[in-house]
Amino acid sequence: MSKLAIRTWAAAGLAVVVAATSLYVPEASAHGEKSQQAFLRMRTLHWYDLNWSTDKLRVNEKMTVSGKIHVFKNWPETTANPEHSPAFLNIGIPGPVFTRVESYMGGQFVPRSVNLELGKNYTFKVVLQARRPGRWHMHTMMNVEAAGPIIGPGIDGSMADYKHVLTTLTGNTVDIEKVGTAGIWGWSFFWIFFGFAWIGYWAAKPVFVPRYMARKAGDESIVSPTDVKVGLGFMVATLIITWVGYNAGNSANPITIPLQAGVIGVMEPIPEGAPTVEAKVEQATYRVPGRSVILKVRVNNRGISPVQVAEFETAGIRFLNGSVYKDETNYPPQLLAPEGLSVDDNSPILPGQSKVITLTGTDAAWENERIADVIYDPDSRFGGLLFFVDSSGFRSMAAVGGPLLPRFT
Amino acid sequence: MSSLSPTVFTKAEIIQASRTADWLILVFAFLVFTGGFHVHAMLTMGDWDFWTDWKDRRLWVTVTPIMCITFPAAVQYWMWDKLRLPLGATFTILGLLFGEWVNRYFNFWGWTYFPINFVWAATLVPGAIILDVILLWSKSFLITAVIGGLAFGLIFYPGNWSMLAVLHQPVEYNGMVMTIADIQGYHYVRTGTPEYIRFVEKGTLRTFGKDVVPVSAFFSGFICILIYFIWHFFGRWYSTTRFIDQY
Repeated sequence: MSKLAIRTWAAAGLAVVVAATSLYVPEASAHGEKSQQAFLRMRTLHWYDLNWSTDKLRVNEKMTVSGKIHVFKNWPETTANPEHSPAFLNIGIPGPVFTRVESYMGGQFVPRSVNLELGKNYTFKVVLQARRPGRWHMHTMMNVEAAGPIIGPGIDGSMADYKHVLTTLTGNTVDIEKVGTAGIWGWSFFWIFFGFAWIGYWAAKPVFVPRYMARKAGDESIVSPTDVKVGLGFMVATLIITWVGYNAGNSANPITIPLQAGVIGVMEPIPEGAPTVEAKVEQATYRVPGRSVILKVRVNNRGISPVQVAEFETAGIRFLNGSVYKDETNYPPQLLAPEGLSVDDNSPILPGQSKVITLTGTDAAWENERIADVIYDPDSRFGGLLFFVDSSGFRSMAAVGGPLLPRFT
Repeated sequence: MSSLSPTVFTKAEIIQASRTADWLILVFAFLVFTGGFHVHAMLTMGDWDFWTDWKDRRLWVTVTPIMCITFPAAVQYWMWDKLRLPLGATFTILGLLFGEWVNRYFNFWGWTYFPINFVWAATLVPGAIILDVILLWSKSFLITAVIGGLAFGLIFYPGNWSMLAVLHQPVEYNGMVMTIADIQGYHYVRTGTPEYIRFVEKGTLRTFGKDVVPVSAFFSGFICILIYFIWHFFGRWYSTTRFIDQY
């Protein structure tokens, strides 16, 4: 190959690399939520009635994420469940761009881990304070493996302005962002300089070759009595400075307590009476070519008013029966199918009536959110929530689940 | 004149070359120990030293000295046995702290914006100097292991209390008592590090009541003695040259 050809190809290659890396710069905004196996997302926690107070705020301003959690009764046995394992109400954000200043479950403040009962519903609320400017991708999150919906609030301002001031039980007022920082820098680097002074004492003299040769010759005079005295001086100084530092810490902070830890306890679920609407899946199929799930469900209306199917939710994706229910919560559009749920018999289910209806949930979200992969999971069962509404807008909820049969044609 | 004829050096040139070698080897060794020791520390006691809400009275006090007396013991053997230099502990600990602070400042603060008062690195220099001086004074690895190892574990907590005490002040926060360090852990969200995976003291040491630190520190010092022995043998093996004279 000639030099000209090499140069031509090199220039072309460089141009491709530059174009590929500078012209297309997608925004990274995900936490790997789609990579979790579908059955995990469908049969663990269901987040519903979600609300976030704002999607734009300035540094130090607060936003609230609130809603309800249904803890699925048929939790996969392969995954630790929150009834027996600690669960921590978290928030999925890219580092501390917000600080979490409050979080509650069932009205209880939950700075630490808790336990939840399977089959129950809980209210939750997380209050976040804006800290770092930018546009951020965010999840509600429970650290027993389940991620909820996604929002992207933006923050304006400067992080230097961020502060969160507290008063300790001993009466000191501290900014949690800065408290103790001067002492940390001071003591850390004092000890580093002190250590280097020790190194410097020895490095001021010949270090490697002459000492190695003297050591080979059995000459022990390379460590002099002065060296030992200097060393003991360093050690005594170390002990004294440590003692001074320890006492300085104690006198400046005479009352301290250990870190607080331990599971807070079992949270109070949302009180519930007998369900007004019961739903039992008789057959569930997923039709691969049509990206739709078809549920044959027996519904018993034990309430006092007629109800209609409003919504089917699974893995954070909401399929709405558009003729009955509209979403007004600004739910993330990629997780919302406003007309995605059709019902073969949309007439109201009367009080006392029991009938079998067929629901079809169709949307590209099955593929885009990788929920359709449930048919390739080792445990091809689904889970979700069915919502019903009456004429006054009152909503009833029923958890449904069971085997999911794939249809490939 | 043959191109292979030896060059004649003056004494000044020899001394200059020796000093140049000193500084080159010191810098190179420092960076090598920084890399190796830092990886070792991150893998064995990482989170305890990353976050203030892991710096407790029991496990942080126990684990950190035990995991950090390793490289000092090995390098002490090499430096003392081959060079009569009582530097190994301080040299490696400073290398570790250099790596830790580069990580904390540029990564934890500069990249992910955790404040320094939440992610500072504990100091181990007091214990390292004591370890070096005891070797210099006693000229014995046995005494260094027993007295120095114990001291290395014992001095760790008081050496850091000057920085940590302010973060253990009690606060009433939404009806619960928490330390400032607990609130930092709650405030600065770590998506992948939920609260329940903290390995910290969740009860006292039963019959020892609230005197958890002295018990933990003595236990740590005791294990440091054993770890010193093991790792000083690593130093011995790695600084022993053997020649094979028969095939």
